[in-house]
Amino acid sequence: MSFVTALALAIAALVVAPVIAHRLRRKRAEPHPFAAARLVPATRPKARRRARLEDRTLFALRALSILALALLGASPLVRCTRLSMSRSGASLAIAIVLDDSMSMRAPSPDGRPRFAKAREGAQQIVASLHEGDAVAIVLAGAPARVALAATTDLGAARTALDQLEPSDRATDLDGAIATGGTLVGALPQVDRRVVVLSDLADGRPDGPPIGEGSAVPVWVAMPELAAPVDDCALLGADRAGVHVRVRFACSGVGAATGREVRVKSGDEVLGAAPLAPTLRGEVLVPAKPGPDGAEVFAELTGKDAVASDDRALVLIESGPSSIGFVADRGELSAATGGASVLEQALGALGLEMTARSLPQVPDQVEDLAAFAALVVDDPPGLTPEQRRAVTTFAERGGVVLLTLGARAASAPLGATVDPFVTRPFTWSREAPAGADVAAAAPVLGESALSLAEFSPRGRARIADEDAAEMDGVVRWSDGALLFGRRTRGRGELWLSTMPLSLDLSDLTLRPGFLALLDAFAAAARERAVPRRGEVGAPWKLAGAREVSWEGPGGKGEPARGPDGLTAAPSLVGVYKLRVDGASELRVAAPVAREVDTRPRAVAPAASALSHGGARATVDISWVVALVLLGLVACELVVRSLTARPAEEV
Amino acid sequence: MAGRITAEDGRVRVREALDWGSLGPLRLRSRAAAEGTYAGAHRSARKGAGIEFGGHREYVPGDDLRWLDRHSLLRHDRLLVRQFETETDRAVRLVVDATKSMGYRGKRAPGSKLAWSAVVAAALARVAISSGDPVGLTFIGGRHDARGAPVAGGRESLERILDELEGQRAEGDAFADARLLEQSLAHVARTSRRGSMIVLFSDLLDLPDRSVDAVAALGARGRVLCVVQVLDRDEVEFPFDESVRLKSLEGDVVVETDAEARVHYLARLAELEHAWRSALVARGARFVSLDTSSDPGRGVRRVVEAMR
Repeated sequence: MSFVTALALAIAALVVAPVIAHRLRRKRAEPHPFAAARLVPATRPKARRRARLEDRTLFALRALSILALALLGASPLVRCTRLSMSRSGASLAIAIVLDDSMSMRAPSPDGRPRFAKAREGAQQIVASLHEGDAVAIVLAGAPARVALAATTDLGAARTALDQLEPSDRATDLDGAIATGGTLVGALPQVDRRVVVLSDLADGRPDGPPIGEGSAVPVWVAMPELAAPVDDCALLGADRAGVHVRVRFACSGVGAATGREVRVKSGDEVLGAAPLAPTLRGEVLVPAKPGPDGAEVFAELTGKDAVASDDRALVLIESGPSSIGFVADRGELSAATGGASVLEQALGALGLEMTARSLPQVPDQVEDLAAFAALVVDDPPGLTPEQRRAVTTFAERGGVVLLTLGARAASAPLGATVDPFVTRPFTWSREAPAGADVAAAAPVLGESALSLAEFSPRGRARIADEDAAEMDGVVRWSDGALLFGRRTRGRGELWLSTMPLSLDLSDLTLRPGFLALLDAFAAAARERAVPRRGEVGAPWKLAGAREVSWEGPGGKGEPARGPDGLTAAPSLVGVYKLRVDGASELRVAAPVAREVDTRPRAVAPAASALSHGGARATVDISWVVALVLLGLVACELVVRSLTARPAEEV
Repeated sequence: MAGRITAEDGRVRVREALDWGSLGPLRLRSRAAAEGTYAGAHRSARKGAGIEFGGHREYVPGDDLRWLDRHSLLRHDRLLVRQFETETDRAVRLVVDATKSMGYRGKRAPGSKLAWSAVVAAALARVAISSGDPVGLTFIGGRHDARGAPVAGGRESLERILDELEGQRAEGDAFADARLLEQSLAHVARTSRRGSMIVLFSDLLDLPDRSVDAVAALGARGRVLCVVQVLDRDEVEFPFDESVRLKSLEGDVVVETDAEARVHYLARLAELEHAWRSALVARGARFVSLDTSSDPGRGVRRVVEAMR
């Protein structure tokens, strides 16, 4: 510190001068003789109070002016450090990769959330850009998203940064860096860079170093954000009888030590169990049932770096989706016994879908809520209630396969199979030997060959108009419809003119049927969204016309894409959806790998100051000078406003 | 008005303050009968050798037979004596409050309340003496060596009154020392005859409690009492617009107040005036309120009119 600087700072000591001046001014006024003073009521010394306020304002202004003067004089000493880009002289094109994943909610060493610090760093970088520089903003929360396409409008970049909020998503650093490189790669600026503002914790601590192999130079601008923290997250909680099965993940063994899971309904603790000291595990919490209709949550005790993932809604059923089937088990069972061919077929496909037998088609759609798909084999017609339930089930996203056989053809009057077939159909004991293999090959692949001959002992014949409404999946060798599908609401209706009974054919034993069943299950999976999904994974609401939801972040609207409406939850928690008037409850759960807060390594080139940028010191003298000027102006205004009129003599 | 009535040295300039010629037509009159010693211009309470018929009364031995009404004797066979109104002089007692509060002078006033009162009192004395009435002067408070003037008529008496008024200064605290008022009022009450006119000049602001009764008692025994409240314009309007500490001139009262007190102050002042006015009028006295910014000559006329 030079002598001049010290002298300038010594000027700050003069701040006591206004204090002394104001104390001198605060002397009480001399009494004014007034004969009728006895009649004058004493009032609160409002004027004196006002004067004191005015005095304080003036005092503050004057004291600040002196301090600003001292700072201005010592400005070579006083500088502030801001994040900025180093530049060679040419204009820059940068893509800012801002990590908005859940791990960025963890506090940084100074106590502020990492995301807030990263966003502040991005704002400083944008502030250091010049006219002609281009900037793009990419969010690294999975999936990587473009928050702002490359633009030279720096004001738009500032606005976009101001509007960004942290999320509970997983991290997709590689995708974000690649996206950022793509955004700036084609820009005319010669100097292009990708600036990464992240804690580098994407669940792949052993992955390749950040910036390695990137076509566009990468700069990890705030390495101080990358530090492991202790965090545990509840991935899911399911009621299983008298227990609640809670799945969890922790960043380290130490993070789980001493903590327990409590199952609570409101403030009432229904059960508790200690957390196993493992990175990932499952806790079986014995818990009594909660009050009817009340939501039950599993909560972690203790505190960790991220609080939003310490709580999970307990779901009654959230396992793999099921396929319900209504069929004569005797007809679907092989003579050797065992499970029905349908169950065996689903097991052979390795689907995470189980088959559950239903005695009959339910009358109410609520009874179908647990199913993603329904198979109805040769029913003796459907009652109006059953038809309504099936139709509604399909319109809400269910997939229904109906096979037509002799029973369906001889259904009593009024028991139709509408909406699959609206016109009369018949059962014929005459049938071709098999399917049209060539036509089925695009759908079934090589397994279509197995349907060339499956020894049918009859088939249903439907009206041409009904057949025309279906998209043919597999046709008989004579061209008639064997398997068809069509969309109904958000779901699909599948129709087969051949029953599944082993007594009528060996269709269900053919590999081609497995392929058909796989396509049917895939259609069901596409539409059936499990009640719990990973945060950030979009919910496809194909076929839905009107969707709204309310989640932890408030109300939201879906995005409209080529496959229909989609909704991507960005925060962990419970979402109440309203799809075409029907209410649904869904849960967005944290991603297990996001709990791993160990940072990725950084390539040496990505942390080089010369390559990626530098921390610049910014002279704030002009700011202090402006402040000083403003203070002087304020003092003049205050003095003119508070000036008293000259006293009469 | 003839300019300022207080000299630079604080002396009251009574002689220079008034246009004495304008007072010529004025006469102090009152419907009440006077009880003077000498012949004068006021109706006397006594009957005697006059010109205007004043009624009959029964003859008593010793009456002058010249006034025996013979017509009454012949018609009613009764001895009645004819009476005639007489006229006498009427003493005027000027009582001037010279306590400290009367020394207040606002920025817009031509002089202090004491100076203004002295001018009006001098004018009344001039009017009375020019009418042949004797005038006396009594102070409430004031200088220790100021003795006032005994009731007397003539040019010499007027000069003495003027000298006393000009030499007076506002001193004394009537609020703290109640004897100042009591002694003055007792002296006036003791020496004032029936039918006397008593004109009291005071601001009435710092007088002790129950002063109103003591003052009103001066109006008893057929005396004509007129209380002239003299206020400064500042006291009438309360011109303070900002925070101010006010200190009374009598009694150690200091209040810190501001313009918000104006309404309450004016209300209290009106209450005070109402209390004095109602008490005095109830006993047949007169009450006049004047402020020192007005012309003293006008003040004189107000008092003269009030006495009638």
